[in-house]
Amino acid sequence: MLNFETTVQDSKSYGDLTLSEVEPILKINLRSNKREFSTKIGKLLSIIPPIEANTSSSNEDYSILWLSPDEWLIYSNNKISYEQQNLLEENLFKNISNMNQGSVTNVTDHWVMINLKGSKIYDLLSKSSPYDFKNFKMKKGSVAQTLLNHTDVILHNIDDNNLNLFVRRSFSEDLWLWINDSARFL
Amino acid sequence: MFIINCPYCGERDQTEFSSGGEAHIVRPKQPTELSDDEWAEFLFMRKNIKGIQFERWNHSHGCRKWFNVVRDTSNDKIHAVYKMGEKPPANK
Repeated sequence: MLNFETTVQDSKSYGDLTLSEVEPILKINLRSNKREFSTKIGKLLSIIPPIEANTSSSNEDYSILWLSPDEWLIYSNNKISYEQQNLLEENLFKNISNMNQGSVTNVTDHWVMINLKGSKIYDLLSKSSPYDFKNFKMKKGSVAQTLLNHTDVILHNIDDNNLNLFVRRSFSEDLWLWINDSARFL
Repeated sequence: MFIINCPYCGERDQTEFSSGGEAHIVRPKQPTELSDDEWAEFLFMRKNIKGIQFERWNHSHGCRKWFNVVRDTSNDKIHAVYKMGEKPPANK
């Protein structure tokens, strides 16, 4: 049974900075090293998984993030109901996993997506991340997997001073409290 | 602290990586035919030299891929980075 209980109960604002969890969002992990995989995903979702490291590709409905040379994360750009999510997952599973083209794993309950907006988000992240955000913030669509306050996170630059942060559910409460605590002192 | 150039993700801080010890240690083809001393030699004994060493590293907080690094253990200078399965650089 998937656990959709959120640990982040509210949205917060600190001056220019806004933090909020976005849900329900579909999140699916894809793994494959087959050549036909990209075209299969292209046909199913009208979007091609990026090959270049630390990048993403997006269309109106979905974004695909590069995680490693044979791993990607798909998430929906808009909120969609769990029933619709199941239909999409089944469709991908039928066409990818069942056809031995790769693996499809529903990670909706595994990751919590927090949206960070405002001119000071990189000041906030730099407080406790070893990652150099210089190139990341210049390029829309950049993806980074790094540490934030000793917690694994995936960052997706969706626009200027606007990014989505994915954190594992079990760490989300701790990171949410840390983000709020740090944001107060910016 | 030093910077490691992950062959998949690019330059990242060392805190994102985990060290996997010495590289290119070949597992004996017939472990059952080895004496206890020979097996212990393979399993536990490492060179641990001061100087240029071939090591395995894992980008554990990034792409989670394993790769090899040629590192000078005396000053943490990294001379080369190459993917698993590739041959080590000849002149090191």
